[in-house]
Amino acid sequence: MTASPVLEVLDARKSYGEREALKGVSLTIGRGEILALLGPNGAGKTTLVRAICGRLALASGSVRVSGADPRASLEARRRLGLVPQEIALYPELTARENLEIFGRLAGVERRALGAKVDEALEWTALEDRAHERIDRLSGGMKRRLNLAAGALHDPELLLLDEPTVGVDPGARELIHDLLERLCRRGLAILITTHDLDQAAELADRIAILSDGRKCAEGSLQELVAASFGGHREVWLTLTNPPTASGRELLTGAGLTAASDEPLSWSGPLAGGLESLAELGSRLAAAGLPVAELRVREPGLRGVFFHFTGRELGLS
Amino acid sequence: MSGVVFRAMLLALVRDRGALAMTFLLPAVFFVIFAMIFAGATGEQLRLKLAVADELDTDLSRRLLAALAAEEALLPVGSGLAADEVREMVRRGTADVGLIVRADAEPLGSVGGFGPAPLLIVSDPVRGVAVAMLSGQVQKAYFSALPDVALGSVVDLLENEFIELSDDQHAALEEGFAELGEEASEAVAAGQASAWGFQDLFEREDVAGKAAAQNHVAYYAGAVAVLFLLFSAVHGAISLIEENDSGILDRILAGPANIDVLVNGKFLYLTVQGFVQIAVIFVIAWLAYRIDLPGHLALWAVTTLVSSAAAAGLALTVATACRTRRQAQTLSNVAILVLSALGGSMVPRFFMPPALQQLGWITPNTWALEAYIGVFWRDETAVDLIVPWAALALAGVAGLFIARRLARRLETS
Repeated sequence: MTASPVLEVLDARKSYGEREALKGVSLTIGRGEILALLGPNGAGKTTLVRAICGRLALASGSVRVSGADPRASLEARRRLGLVPQEIALYPELTARENLEIFGRLAGVERRALGAKVDEALEWTALEDRAHERIDRLSGGMKRRLNLAAGALHDPELLLLDEPTVGVDPGARELIHDLLERLCRRGLAILITTHDLDQAAELADRIAILSDGRKCAEGSLQELVAASFGGHREVWLTLTNPPTASGRELLTGAGLTAASDEPLSWSGPLAGGLESLAELGSRLAAAGLPVAELRVREPGLRGVFFHFTGRELGLS
Repeated sequence: MSGVVFRAMLLALVRDRGALAMTFLLPAVFFVIFAMIFAGATGEQLRLKLAVADELDTDLSRRLLAALAAEEALLPVGSGLAADEVREMVRRGTADVGLIVRADAEPLGSVGGFGPAPLLIVSDPVRGVAVAMLSGQVQKAYFSALPDVALGSVVDLLENEFIELSDDQHAALEEGFAELGEEASEAVAAGQASAWGFQDLFEREDVAGKAAAQNHVAYYAGAVAVLFLLFSAVHGAISLIEENDSGILDRILAGPANIDVLVNGKFLYLTVQGFVQIAVIFVIAWLAYRIDLPGHLALWAVTTLVSSAAAAGLALTVATACRTRRQAQTLSNVAILVLSALGGSMVPRFFMPPALQQLGWITPNTWALEAYIGVFWRDETAVDLIVPWAALALAGVAGLFIARRLARRLETS
């Protein structure tokens, strides 16, 4: 990361009536960096993205895009591109017409527009479909064009909301390839996603939001180390909710319960595989019947569970 | 399986409170308003605004006019008017119909004679039915308020022509009847009225003159144009809700453009679209019905421009006030039908009760129709049209301003 980040969010706080949507979130993204923002529904991701776009006033804290406040500065908003989760294009218009319209609205000069549109059609490999209406393109093509419309004006920061939702694996790979190319061109990219595999594959860093707070941030390796300390992850599912003494036993073994599912528990297997049999015996002795007991190399799924107490993301 | 679909539709409606209210509450309101309008059109509550000039100013004329003033179906406007003032009031629409008791005509109450009729009804062809209504009222007033005159003139006639007839007179009468029969037959054959008969009580004069007959369709062109202008403007304005739903608004608002840019752009587009839409209707009216569009092009263009702007402003206000497409469509359909009914796009406003006629002035339809009638019927000048133009332009600007204010919540929602 460079000394001056493209995106800098400092202690962002925002409330809707009684509900605190953001409770002091800070984030930075530098040039050529991809940050994946994870979090369960209602964690505050949408509010944070809207604050970054300058569409809502924070109660306190600040947002800077290349040093300027996007709420006050048109220049800051010109440096920003948004790729919504929906196919945010005019379906009756052609690919080229859509790019021209969104390019102009994003601030591209009229005389530079043609070249920018040509370039965008080329790097999304849609040159031969330039004059087709959007509603006649495949889902993957629409996704690529959706991305191109957000990046056409050479923003410094690109915000993507679930960029590959609903596309087949081949189209997903194409989108990932496009994002990596944009990253190599120096864009700072923020992806909000429920797709943990996508986050693990693409992101340089991952930030996890839960209940309006950033509860973790770092590379995948850093987060795994922080969650499991170099141990494997043990995952168990009980057949009945545990008693108070049973919960004490599980917590003592370093396991955490899912916040919305008291039958699911996860944590580091501190003693290695040898300790698995001992854990099973102790659970049986405590009268905790186990429906499933798994041991796996820890990944982002376990990290997410560790920090939020919830399961997320089947890609 | 169909029951499941039914349940899904029902739940979707019940959960959308706004749409629910508009589905069941607004039609009731709508019905009440329409019932008032069309109940008025049956004539029970109809009050024709009548302007009167009494050039004769005799005891007889004063008694006749007093009887007319007492009629519930007539609403006298102005007093002590001259004939030209009556014509001007009818031309401007401040009176639905005018009545002039003429000095230079056959005396009121005369039965014979071939001079001009004693009463002149002044009408605007736009309100042609008002003539028939006033004729009935005048006849009613004449025979009920002036029975001595009506009967006296008949007795005079009997005394002069039929009392104490001699044999020679009988023969002459028979000869006269035979002659009258021949004359009547000849007149019918020639397509003329009989040269013999009772003096007509009144004649009719149209203030717009013969040229207006060619432009008769201009009224309907204006009425239809404004109605569909509103529908298409709302349809276009609802795209704002679709853009919000599809993420397009999010994409645009993340950039340097703000919501004002979007609303302004749509206002401009809808105004131009409305202008072209009305132009198509009037060009057809020009080519097919010979309305004099080229002769009134500049005034028509200004009227059309401000009418389109008013429709665009209103449509954007509706679209930005609603949260869902369903709300917007229901609200706009009801609003447009009510405005169009009140504004005279469906039934001429003078058919309505006076209170609804007054209410009509809040609709763009009324002002647009007034302006089109001014251009094509009354040959008004730009100065005459300033008031309706200003009302329509103001409606457009106010609509745009309100829509921009309402759309602000889209920026933060």
